[in-house]
Amino acid sequence: MSAYIDKIKEISNRLLKESKVDMVIGFRKGTVPMMNEPCFAKTPQDVDNFVWDSNCGINLANYLTNREEKIGIIAKGCDSRNIVTHIIENKIKRDRLVIIGVPCKAMIDRHKIETMFETEIQDVIEADDKIIVKGDGFEKTLNKSDVLQENCAICIHRNPVKHDEVVGDPVEEQKDVDRYEDVRKIEAMPPEEKWRYFDDLISACIRCYACRNACPLCYCHTCFVDESRPQWVGKSQDPIDTRTFHFLRAYHCSGRCTDCGACERACPMGIKVRRFTKKLEKDCLDLFGWEAGMTLEERPPLDTYRSDDPDEFIK
Amino acid sequence: MEYMGIEPGRLHFSWISSAESTKFVDVVNKVTAAVKALGPNNNYLKTMAKVA
Amino acid sequence: MKFIKIDKESWAKGLERLDDSFRLFGPVKQDKFHNFKELDKGELPDLSLLNTRLSPKSVVYPQSEVMFEYTLDENKEDHHILKEIDKDYSPRAVIGIRPCDAKAFLVVKPNFDAPEYKDPYWIKSYEATTFVGYACDTPCSTCFCTPAGCGPFHEEGLDLLLVDTNDHYLIKVITEKGENFLSAAGWGAEVDADAASDQIETMRHTAEAKITSRVSTDELKDKNITDLFEASFWEEAAFACINCGTCTYACPTCWCFDIQDETYGYYGIRMRNWDSCMYPLFTLHGSGHNPRDTKIQRVRQRFMHKLKYYVDKYENGIQCVGCGRCIRLCPVNIDIRRVCELMNSYGG
Ligand code: SF4
Ligand code: SF4
Ligand code: SF4
Ligand code: SF4
Repeated sequence: MSAYIDKIKEISNRLLKESKVDMVIGFRKGTVPMMNEPCFAKTPQDVDNFVWDSNCGINLANYLTNREEKIGIIAKGCDSRNIVTHIIENKIKRDRLVIIGVPCKAMIDRHKIETMFETEIQDVIEADDKIIVKGDGFEKTLNKSDVLQENCAICIHRNPVKHDEVVGDPVEEQKDVDRYEDVRKIEAMPPEEKWRYFDDLISACIRCYACRNACPLCYCHTCFVDESRPQWVGKSQDPIDTRTFHFLRAYHCSGRCTDCGACERACPMGIKVRRFTKKLEKDCLDLFGWEAGMTLEERPPLDTYRSDDPDEFIK
Repeated sequence: MEYMGIEPGRLHFSWISSAESTKFVDVVNKVTAAVKALGPNNNYLKTMAKVA
Repeated sequence: MKFIKIDKESWAKGLERLDDSFRLFGPVKQDKFHNFKELDKGELPDLSLLNTRLSPKSVVYPQSEVMFEYTLDENKEDHHILKEIDKDYSPRAVIGIRPCDAKAFLVVKPNFDAPEYKDPYWIKSYEATTFVGYACDTPCSTCFCTPAGCGPFHEEGLDLLLVDTNDHYLIKVITEKGENFLSAAGWGAEVDADAASDQIETMRHTAEAKITSRVSTDELKDKNITDLFEASFWEEAAFACINCGTCTYACPTCWCFDIQDETYGYYGIRMRNWDSCMYPLFTLHGSGHNPRDTKIQRVRQRFMHKLKYYVDKYENGIQCVGCGRCIRLCPVNIDIRRVCELMNSYGG
């Protein structure tokens, strides 16, 4: 990781010095365990604060939307796919960007690690493939591979798909991963059970919209849940309204979601919101052979028409 | 929709041209029959906000 | 001062007895974390917690709350008239509330219960509630209650203070409301006040020493509002924020709400839902103009309100009790301690 950090700093300083960019977007060390804070650097002093470790799960593409400056951006595999999606959707211009690719070694799941301990975690240290968790009177070593974010554990695109600079050699991509075990499990349930499953899943939701706002795809000026004329969905804690928010948001992300996991990571209540988006992501793969953000050359399936699009559902 | 627990057969899609009146009648009949067979929708239903 | 001892067997029995005269609320572990909820009959509050994920403000001030009902049916005499809804304001008690969260009710009180404006829903709920505090002997590293004008054994806003001495509970009686609660529970084993008070004092010192977060607030009052408003650090401090509602919804001292009507046929309700200054919609005018249209403006508002406007307006300290929830839960690690330092030290 420290090799990555050195390289990130070196590239950032060079880009700033040569005025190739006005700012570089990256992470600085967080004030609590397992958290880093997205930040920008405009000076060498700012660059000094940059870090890289397994707590950089926030998707930085989210910070690009409609920006006008020339920007250097640090991008993991998924971030780079969301940057591609942003470019396709005219949210940022390719020529304003210098993408600093990070071959990703996967992020750890802060929710999972938190719930493994009864008391407060005061420090989390990384050493190669081990994670050392410390608290008042305890210390425990975990295997990093056991505590990955769920989306990272099944990720098959860890290397950035587009980059202008890169901070290390490509990592080996995972092969033969079963990406949709959880979705298939839900698909196999009878309707009543499905209904209850999602009721339980979102029962703790407070509608803070951290999931939506952490997602680079959710850049609408006025989100449908905030719309008041017409008002598509109620704004209270009513479970039907909460459900409507979640599955409609998932629809809006279909063919665009990269399964970056930023939404799930952001949720303060630890709700597995990817259970909604992943179904659509799977359908896009099954029906259109599409994975979002892999190429600038092709339009996404939901904004193109092809005569061989599947249409069995239309009677 | 089925994924989140709406029963198969409650939601239908059809493409009917304005000239296809018989198809329209046919589809409406089929849809109403299918939905009636399922009975009332008790899940995706908000009669009043469940709040404090 | 009066102190009562409760051994752990009579704890459950007393709570059972209270069930008849009080609606009891307490921390319960749901799935992965604790939150306050109304306890079912026989259910015990789980006091093995650090603190609840969300604050107990919802016991008095629910996230969604119906205020009025109405009918649009013109055949009815009272059509188009808002009628207040019947509510249960019978005595209730929050058991196991942390001192910071109890003090928070006093911090928000000037907003709901001011001489010129009274919020009947909040006031009636608040007055119906007995606050049974639970002294905090294991503060988190994110807690900064002491520098925020509160503390792990702080008594403001509490009716009773419950202290866990390991083999039994000690209760310090703070108000008459607390006294009534105790007699309803049948807890009356008085202990020597001096000894108990000494014991609690010692525990308080140990707990306070564990609070290591330092936040300075002393200069905030003397800063010039417009200087702070125009300070150069806001761009950097706000950059990461995604403008979700996590910090404000988790916070015991955030009070803003939005009013909504929902109509079902002819019948309708008017309710209020928590709102957040982080949302663009919060300040959107009917004209389409939005005075806080950018993220930086909204983040600045949250901190200026808590750490400057409130301080100046109410002369009641900061609008924060240092519970640390927003620090622990913010998805992008915006840390109020850091922003507070920036504000407190701005301009020398
Ligand atoms: S982040 Fe979590 S709690 Fe907030 S709206 Fe999304 S699912 Fe609900
Ligand atoms: S929906 Fe979630 S997983 Fe998909 S792109 Fe958005 S943040 Fe990432
Ligand atoms: S400070 Fe954090 S929790 Fe609050 S709105 Fe910003 S991102 Fe959300
Ligand atoms: S601002 Fe943060 S630390 Fe202060 S009371 Fe609110 S949630 Fe707690």
